[in-house]
Amino acid sequence: MNLKENDEKLIDIRNLTITTSSGQILIKDITLDMEKGEILGVVGESSSGKSLTAKSILNLLPEGLHWEAEKFQVMGLDYLKEDPDKIRSFIGEKIGYIPQNTGNYLHPMIKIKDQIADGYVLYAKESMEEALARAAKLVSAVGIRDTDRLLNSYPWQLSGGMRQRVNIAMALMNKPRMIIADEPTAALDSTVQRQVIDLFKIVNQNHNTSVLMISHDFGLIKYYCERILVVYAGQIMEEADRDELFNNPKHPYTKALIKVIPSLNIKKDERLQEIKGNVPDMRVPVKGCVFKDRCPYRKEICDTEVEDKLINENHYYKCHFDL
Amino acid sequence: MLNYIFKRIIHAAEVLFVVSLITFAVLLWIPGDVAQLILGSDATPEKLEALRISLGLDRAWYLQYWDWLKGLFRLDLGQSYLFGQNVTTLIAQRLPVTLSIAVFSMLIASVTAILLGSLAAIKKNTKTDYFVTGLMQLGSSVPSFWIGMLCIVFFGLKLKIFPITGYVPIEKGFIPYLNSIFLPSFVLAIGEIGMLLRTVRTSMLDSLRQDYMDMAKVKGLPKVTVYLKYALRSAMIAPINVMGIQFAKLVGGTVVIESVFSLPGLGRLILVAVEQRDIMLLQGLVIFITFLVILISLIVDIAVMFLNPRIRVQMEGE
Repeated sequence: MNLKENDEKLIDIRNLTITTSSGQILIKDITLDMEKGEILGVVGESSSGKSLTAKSILNLLPEGLHWEAEKFQVMGLDYLKEDPDKIRSFIGEKIGYIPQNTGNYLHPMIKIKDQIADGYVLYAKESMEEALARAAKLVSAVGIRDTDRLLNSYPWQLSGGMRQRVNIAMALMNKPRMIIADEPTAALDSTVQRQVIDLFKIVNQNHNTSVLMISHDFGLIKYYCERILVVYAGQIMEEADRDELFNNPKHPYTKALIKVIPSLNIKKDERLQEIKGNVPDMRVPVKGCVFKDRCPYRKEICDTEVEDKLINENHYYKCHFDL
Repeated sequence: MLNYIFKRIIHAAEVLFVVSLITFAVLLWIPGDVAQLILGSDATPEKLEALRISLGLDRAWYLQYWDWLKGLFRLDLGQSYLFGQNVTTLIAQRLPVTLSIAVFSMLIASVTAILLGSLAAIKKNTKTDYFVTGLMQLGSSVPSFWIGMLCIVFFGLKLKIFPITGYVPIEKGFIPYLNSIFLPSFVLAIGEIGMLLRTVRTSMLDSLRQDYMDMAKVKGLPKVTVYLKYALRSAMIAPINVMGIQFAKLVGGTVVIESVFSLPGLGRLILVAVEQRDIMLLQGLVIFITFLVILISLIVDIAVMFLNPRIRVQMEGE
């Protein structure tokens, strides 16, 4: 690793916009910065564009979607200039991906041992035996006891939680510099959830691996991430360090999200809090603030374009009001 | 597994029985007198009657059928009056020709269809895709006898690369053998590629859309590995079924191409048997081809089962 690379940010994306081939905007002007070794959380309701953002970093945008950005650099590699083969092998070597709904991310006709290790054999230039030994170590680290049987199974012989753990182990195979985890613990019960997240923390501390974690679970993000991005309808509503965000939330959406985190001392028969309404269809352009339809503070001014407001260098939000 | 194969064999026997009954009935009912055909139009009624008796044609149909069926169990398909030889021997002589061009054309068709079909799927909606699918559409629309004649004129008479007629057995050297079957196999293959290619393309497109393809890409695997190990594996099941159907069709249906290229195969034998009303021969051929078709589909089914680990593992567990 040379000095120049050291100085660079892990992720430096300016004004990422993702559009469909018919010109509808799904993600608008998202700016994403990540430092080395950082754990960044992206939180928001389903279909707010969190996964799409991650997929653009992984070069996995579904057919028919296109991205544009002023700047798009990951670990110093410029996606705007570099050729696709280089980007693909770069991702394979340096980024681990834990997808959402891991069920179909493993090939049903190939044994686990034959798909967990092929990337490692390629990039670490190790033998298959060495790769399988590492795989066994990793799957036991995510709480699987009979590793031998697991590695010799086909995906459909495993439960959803098992498959998810295989995916987590697979993402860690190449000792990645960065992990992108999209709802990584969705199919796991709470004890395993904790185990997996602690494993991320260990990897983060021991190898300075950065983690980009995407979740709709604000509680999980709060427990785990140092800095948090609140995303709504394809735009960033607010970004701040964790403590700052929870102590001093500025955007009405962030406030609403914090309010709906279920607390443990709920009274019997008490209804869980919710945010009324739904995420707007991102394909229909909205004039002004995208959250206005569900916002309790809505005024006429909300129909006009909103600028980012800076509280300090680590905290900004997108709202007309100072609440 | 064994249980399954046993059930399939029982089923095959039923099909064979029904087919033999139908063939027998059809041949019995079509107009024309065999004895007349053999002896010619100026034969005396006494001579005709004597021949009928010696052929066993004067007996009730179910007795004739029963005799034939009994022979079948001893693999004796009776005598061909036309050739004066055992039908089994005749089939054994002609089978290598038909089987050769069927296997070889299936080989050409499969390799081409898998390569081009995958390519068309990977390059979906590009010029490559349109070119490949368009070309194959053309190939399967043009009748094979016409392509066959064009090939004879061009490769055989003009360029003189391949012999235009006849069959050289493999015992007389592999290269001459290959030369003699290449053109007919190639022509037959052109007719089959189209459908197979479309099947490959469709199932390849389907498997390229799967989530596990995303994972293979994220792992940074080379494109060849991504397509061969991950995409093609799950995309092969439907094409293998189609290949089975096509191969079965080729085994029983090379009549036209064998005629165009004057090859002494089963197809030409059928033609002769029909023209000359050689009932024993025709019956034997039909039942033999039926048997081949059933055998091929059984083999294909078992192959597909082995390809699908879900079924394989279940059977290992039994």
